[in-house]
Amino acid sequence: MNQADVSKLISQLRIVVRPKNRNLKNPDGPEGRLLKLRKTVTALVKHERIELYYNRADEARGYAELLISNAIRHGDRHKPTMELADYWLLEKQLVHKLFKVLVPRYDNYNVSYTRMYKAPRDYPGMYYKKSVLELRGNPYPTLCADQTQNRNLLHNVLLDEARKEFRREKVADLANKLNVATEAPKKTVEESSDTIKPTAI
Amino acid sequence: MNVNGFCRIVSKKLPQQFAYKRIVTFSTKPAQQQQEATVSTPTLPNNNTPAARKPIVPGHYRFVYPEFLPDPKVQWRNTVREKLERLDMLARRGQVDLPEFYVGSILAVTSSDPHAAGKTSRFVGICIHRERCGLRARFILRNVIDHQGMEVLYELYDPTIQKVEVLRLEKRLDDSLFYLRDALPEFSTFDENMEAEHLEEGAPVPVNDIKVVLRPRPWLERWERQNLLGVANIEQYIKDKHRKSAAKVQKPWEKYDLMKQYRATIPEEEQKEIFAEVHTELHTLELQRKRNKRKRSFIKPKQLA
Amino acid sequence: MLRTVIGDLARLRLSSSSSSNSCVLVTQVREKGHLSRPRLRNPHWFLRKERSQTDDYVTAENRNFVKEVVHETYGSPALIKGVQTYEQKLIRTPIEKPSVDAEPWTPKVRRCGVIARKIGQYPLWLKNGERVRTTLLQIVDNHVIKYTPPEEYQPSHRPSVHNLHKYGCLLVGAESTNPALLTKEYCGIFRDSGVMPKKNVARFIVSPQAALAPGTPLNVGHFRVGEFVDVRGKTVDHGFQGVVKRHGFKGMPASHGVTKTHRRAGNIGGGGEKGRVWPGTKMPGHMGNRWRISKGLRIWRINTKYNVMWVQGSAVPGSTNGLIYIYDTILPLRKPKEAPPFPTLYEDDAAALPEDIWYDQVHDFKDETITYKPE
Repeated sequence: MNQADVSKLISQLRIVVRPKNRNLKNPDGPEGRLLKLRKTVTALVKHERIELYYNRADEARGYAELLISNAIRHGDRHKPTMELADYWLLEKQLVHKLFKVLVPRYDNYNVSYTRMYKAPRDYPGMYYKKSVLELRGNPYPTLCADQTQNRNLLHNVLLDEARKEFRREKVADLANKLNVATEAPKKTVEESSDTIKPTAI
Repeated sequence: MNVNGFCRIVSKKLPQQFAYKRIVTFSTKPAQQQQEATVSTPTLPNNNTPAARKPIVPGHYRFVYPEFLPDPKVQWRNTVREKLERLDMLARRGQVDLPEFYVGSILAVTSSDPHAAGKTSRFVGICIHRERCGLRARFILRNVIDHQGMEVLYELYDPTIQKVEVLRLEKRLDDSLFYLRDALPEFSTFDENMEAEHLEEGAPVPVNDIKVVLRPRPWLERWERQNLLGVANIEQYIKDKHRKSAAKVQKPWEKYDLMKQYRATIPEEEQKEIFAEVHTELHTLELQRKRNKRKRSFIKPKQLA
Repeated sequence: MLRTVIGDLARLRLSSSSSSNSCVLVTQVREKGHLSRPRLRNPHWFLRKERSQTDDYVTAENRNFVKEVVHETYGSPALIKGVQTYEQKLIRTPIEKPSVDAEPWTPKVRRCGVIARKIGQYPLWLKNGERVRTTLLQIVDNHVIKYTPPEEYQPSHRPSVHNLHKYGCLLVGAESTNPALLTKEYCGIFRDSGVMPKKNVARFIVSPQAALAPGTPLNVGHFRVGEFVDVRGKTVDHGFQGVVKRHGFKGMPASHGVTKTHRRAGNIGGGGEKGRVWPGTKMPGHMGNRWRISKGLRIWRINTKYNVMWVQGSAVPGSTNGLIYIYDTILPLRKPKEAPPFPTLYEDDAAALPEDIWYDQVHDFKDETITYKPE
């Protein structure tokens, strides 16, 4: 490969793409690999959230993303896209879901259409990494509660205080400077602290 | 599914990892480089001039200038290198007119040659192959001269190339025409003193659907395996065993392998960025070429009269 | 670990047996089935660089606050010469240039090197039409961090008496990064220099005359076109490879009665008196992931805007986007005859350089097409 293929135009994916694919061990070679991934992609579109081995999920993710992005790009009147959908979705009612449910859902997304989590593996058991693959905007409850809003966590409390102090120091600094500049000490301190405080908080 | 339990067990570090900001690790366009593009483009002269109007890059640029798109192999990519390479390519294009041509077009290349009489050599032939990107872009011309097949490999940006004329702008049915080596010589014989044929402006590039007649075996390659469209008599020379082995190496599933296609292409967003950077200069070069052509075509009847 | 324990036990037994003269029981540990692959062995003074990253559920406000503090102390993010970095606020400016009567350059003086990244390769053409393959090396945001004078510098390999205390050591860092990602100890290296913590650090052995003040930026102007450099890098790791890939052996025919020896080496030694495998015989083994130096590469072209140099050859060790260290060449016939920028080219002098500098013999793409004069 020394030259980009110009015959096709594909939108950029919003996920991390590995430089090379995984072969996903199977006796039928690359064809068997696709047949395997087809089942995963179908299941993902059908159930919107699946739990499986990490490698296979990561491989299937790219195909699902591209399938959706192609569907958004070309619509259901485009023959090659329809052929792709026909190949990748084993249950044919899912083709309708792709064009009538998923395309409107993801039409103005600017993040990836799928999401992947690492899942814990069974112990003792198979050593392979496990993961959860889901379509964004699915009807299920979220897997990880968003903790970033929690102000009561210790480090947030400490950082909050540090921030306030930082702002206070800055205001004091500014006041000092003004003092030096105008040589009218008391007035400026009050004024400046008044004007800057609201922005600080 | 017990959702609470699941919340607990799913690794906590992960959601961040898949946030949009982190896409860049192996994506071809890291965030750093994105910023760089925004910062450094104003310094380029070509982006300063049309500040008012948005540069609209024609969609056919990827066919006309395929060498401006970098190698899609991500391990080999680097934005600074690609930018420097593009600047060099534009600088070279400012010196020599490198017109639009495709595999199947008939070209005449004049180049400096220290060993030729008069120190220049001109070669006319059909372009049978075009490959590589950036400053390494190259193509092969083929012709039959004195019943002897000749092929010359030219590098597009080689500074010894003095002139590239397109004598007949057309495409063929296949992406590379190596099978002309095994075809009857009349299919790759072209007159050295051929006149340039002018295409109407804005007309689509015609596709020549000529079918080439092959010589009998032995061949240089196993053409029956390559699904060639531009060969007429391949059935005549192959036996059942060839047909069977050809069927064995076919890869019909590859048209469904979306990720393979994705890894072999430059995504549309990036193509837009690249061509937006070079569009103005290329466009001015194109206009210049048109003006020159008109002059030439205007002078010609004068000489005849 | 296990092996050392067993070794200790064996030694104990041996010592006790020698005294008491009882029967000796030694557990043999054979070093078989063990690959001699180059492994990373951290030196004794090693500092852990990266902090282990945990998701702390910091609120967006606080996250921005941490960022603000970093930018407040070190300067806001900036794109300098094509590299994403920070304005270095803490560096004392201006860096004092050495006075005029500083010791001049002599051919025996060792200058500082630089840290670069290999960013790819493409051809250039000479004015005689010849094509040269070049590798592009980008010097990435280099700053001097520390200088250790010869008296204090303790090299890990003690030099011969002749060279004792001859050279000092310069610590150079490349690619500023967010200090929140690094460990406290690692950031301590940079504390006194005023330089922002860097991702990569390298030591360069220099003559005391070539010492540089901490905070001095190193640019591509440190080198000049036409001169020769040595480039050190870690080669691409190929893993365990056979002789065909590792040493370029031809292998054996695919057919004509050949069985099971298509990519094998064949004979590895003679018989009789020399009936053994000679040391250094080319055999399968681990390939790559070793430090290698390509010596005497000519600099064909320099771009000062992006800090890039084009050096001869496309076989510079390492992968694209990999780290590379550039030194003045040690090849005696390719050493510079005239004084290079010494101890380095300072910022204000570097500003006077043109954007693109071409070696005399190289064809500038902006020049006219190469033609040959008829005799």
